[in-house]
Amino acid sequence: MRVNAEQAVFLELPPEAAFLSLAVSAAETAGKAWDLGPGRTPRLVLAVEEFFEYLRGNIPPGDTLKLSLRRRGPALRAEFRFRARSLDLRALNFAAGVAPEDGREMGLLLAARFTDRCRLERPGGDSFVLSAEVDRDYPQAEPLTQHPRLQPPYAPLDQPSGDALRHAAMLAAGRYPARLCPHGFFEPGRLLDMVAAGLYEVLVLADKAGRPAGIMLWRSPAGSLSVFFSGPYVLDEARDPAIARALTEGFLARVARTPAICAVSERPTGDLPAEFFEPLGSVGCTQGGERVEQQAFYRSLREDEGASVWAHPDLEPFLRREYERLAFVREILPVEADGGQPHSLLATDLDLRRGMAVLRPLLDGRDLAANLARHVEALGREGAPDIFLHLDLGQAWQAAMSPALLAAGFTPRLLLPHGATSDMVVFEHGDAAH
Amino acid sequence: MATPHTDPAAWSTSRLLDRIPAYVRAFECYVPSRPDPVLMRQYGLSHLYRLNNNENALGPPPLAREALAALESGRTAQYPSGDSYNLRQALAARFGKSPEQFLVGNGSTEIIAAVIKSFCGPGDALVTADQTFAVYEWVGRFSGLETRLVPLRNHALDPGALLEAVNERTKIVFLCNPNNPTGSWWNRDTLEAFLESLPADVVVVLDEAYREFTEDSRFPDGMEVMERHPNVLVFRTFSKMYGLAGLRVGYLCGGQELVDVVRRCHIVYSVNVAGQMAAEAALADDAGHIAATRAMVAGARDFLRDAFDSLGLEHVGGIGNFIMVRTAIPDTLLYRQLMRQGVMVRTMTAFRFPNWIRISLAQDEAMEAFVRAFRAVLDQG
Ligand SMILES: Cc1ncc(COP(=O)(O)O)c(C=O)c1O
Repeated sequence: MRVNAEQAVFLELPPEAAFLSLAVSAAETAGKAWDLGPGRTPRLVLAVEEFFEYLRGNIPPGDTLKLSLRRRGPALRAEFRFRARSLDLRALNFAAGVAPEDGREMGLLLAARFTDRCRLERPGGDSFVLSAEVDRDYPQAEPLTQHPRLQPPYAPLDQPSGDALRHAAMLAAGRYPARLCPHGFFEPGRLLDMVAAGLYEVLVLADKAGRPAGIMLWRSPAGSLSVFFSGPYVLDEARDPAIARALTEGFLARVARTPAICAVSERPTGDLPAEFFEPLGSVGCTQGGERVEQQAFYRSLREDEGASVWAHPDLEPFLRREYERLAFVREILPVEADGGQPHSLLATDLDLRRGMAVLRPLLDGRDLAANLARHVEALGREGAPDIFLHLDLGQAWQAAMSPALLAAGFTPRLLLPHGATSDMVVFEHGDAAH
Repeated sequence: MATPHTDPAAWSTSRLLDRIPAYVRAFECYVPSRPDPVLMRQYGLSHLYRLNNNENALGPPPLAREALAALESGRTAQYPSGDSYNLRQALAARFGKSPEQFLVGNGSTEIIAAVIKSFCGPGDALVTADQTFAVYEWVGRFSGLETRLVPLRNHALDPGALLEAVNERTKIVFLCNPNNPTGSWWNRDTLEAFLESLPADVVVVLDEAYREFTEDSRFPDGMEVMERHPNVLVFRTFSKMYGLAGLRVGYLCGGQELVDVVRRCHIVYSVNVAGQMAAEAALADDAGHIAATRAMVAGARDFLRDAFDSLGLEHVGGIGNFIMVRTAIPDTLLYRQLMRQGVMVRTMTAFRFPNWIRISLAQDEAMEAFVRAFRAVLDQG
């Protein structure tokens, strides 16, 4: 693993207006020190300013705000940690870019709009993390559409050079549809920075003459037990299946002795050799106005231990069918819907480029049905036709949400073993999901 | 089931975790399989055949059983011999060496860690194969050492490539002979040529955990090899042939000077009373036991080879009480499906053999149960 010496700044700030300038200047300094560039730094500064202003009035008395600024490959990340006891959590529903109907909390919305990624997380109890990332600018590279006839044997490059990586990315971008290519294939500088920072692991195969023959990428988000892979991308003119196979085996060999316990497809290409994976099913994606089914593939990397999951009786038939089909032993523990406190909280990961939003429940509440409807409506307006919700069956309070989800037009599509603290169900919104 | 932690100090915890060495952060915890009763309840089984750990299905030799049966529970109030005194005497007599040349550990895995601690410091490197027993690589990695992994060639350790991987920073080369999980092995000539070419200041760990399973005269005897090559440390265990895996006894033998170095980093008193006693008794009564075990293993191997051949499946095996087979579905899926039928095998993804499983060779009943379940799973597609 390549983890650069940590580049990070930590500040602990009293929630007082006078300290805003300190937070802001820290963001400015980080932007300058870590080459975010004069065009992009103000976006990060804006997010820090809006977050600080919102949070300082809302955290419990006596608490402080913990701000960290970190360099993460192509991005600079600002992260606030705080406790929310008396906080108006409802407002945070909009922190990831979902527009409120009534114009409140425009600051949080603005921050989300001007950054590349904005995320709200709840690591546990009443502690929250609100973060924003802004990416550096990279030049676009023209995809290469001529794929030479390559010569076996194909061997993995021990540490692919920047040029080899760049070349492989441009060849892949010229062959595979954009939805199957990570952004970095069109901006190879970004890819190189992500690999150098350990945000992506990559395997590049070369042919006998040293030309790039194939590439496969994967990432393991912090706290996740899964690795998400993209590929295999085969760069040979004749699409030699030996390349796809060597990439897949090489990928599995490299993740075999890591903390990951399963591999899940993020962008599976048509070259993926089926015998190494289990089909999980598919979800719908909108492409140029049309819906296509995107297959999902899964593979355990270890011997499954068995586990317990929570489920509302509504969801049980789906779970039993999937567990039986996938041969996972699970004890299903029943939960009842309760929705104790008044306001629910959902986090939204919005990806407008792909027209996609992923909702994650952070708090259950009595207004869940209305909140879901509000999100669906707002996301439709934003131009995200594909709306998913990830439900963690390791959390009883999340499992208890399924009746509200079904009522709000969500359908369970995929069961992802070990996708969360326990297994995860991916719900898809809309009629087309049936 | 994980419950959310409600630690208000999440911030300081996260900073604390930031300071953990990257090589520990990136390290995978080994998750051992759950106890049989737990697994049987989960999978709804009335019987479980455990074919995953290469244990000896015949158990330990009769004298060891007797010694254990006679163990007085009052004896457990006292510490064991801190350096397995009697067992080392017995080993010395068996192999014609001095007791000081032996170091007994809580399984040979414990001594692997002691060897690495003794010889390696920051910046040093280890060399081993990529598809071999995982503990060498694990201990190397969580000790923060560069661990160079050399691909096998035709499912066997590749002497030329291993030599090429050695550089001035290499302190130890780990050779698993026969290799787990492929069962491949180096003969006397291959090992001798390798040791001749290797710089004499590199320690060679020759792990012979499965050597008692062969009587082939071409198989090198580490106990003899170490006399000519003072950089060789031989590892053996009572876990496999001797059927004492549950008591955790393994040992190392080498030149006295080298063994003295390892002893400094080895934890004394780590081998318990029952283990020392049973191992000593097992050694005194092994001829019939070894013959019976070899016969069982040979029969099981033939039986499984025939079954795999008839299914047209690629299989690999050699010396040792195990065989590997490759199928056209993920090994981890196959594992779950076999478990539902009461058979536990070892998946090979973690050995970097995706879609292969390894089966321990045992008595007819278990082998037949495995083949039945295996065929049923493959038939259902
Ligand atoms: C090659 C090899 N060495 C060592 C061991 C571990 O032996 P012990 O039980 O003595 O720790 C094993 C067990 O699987 C093994 O396969």
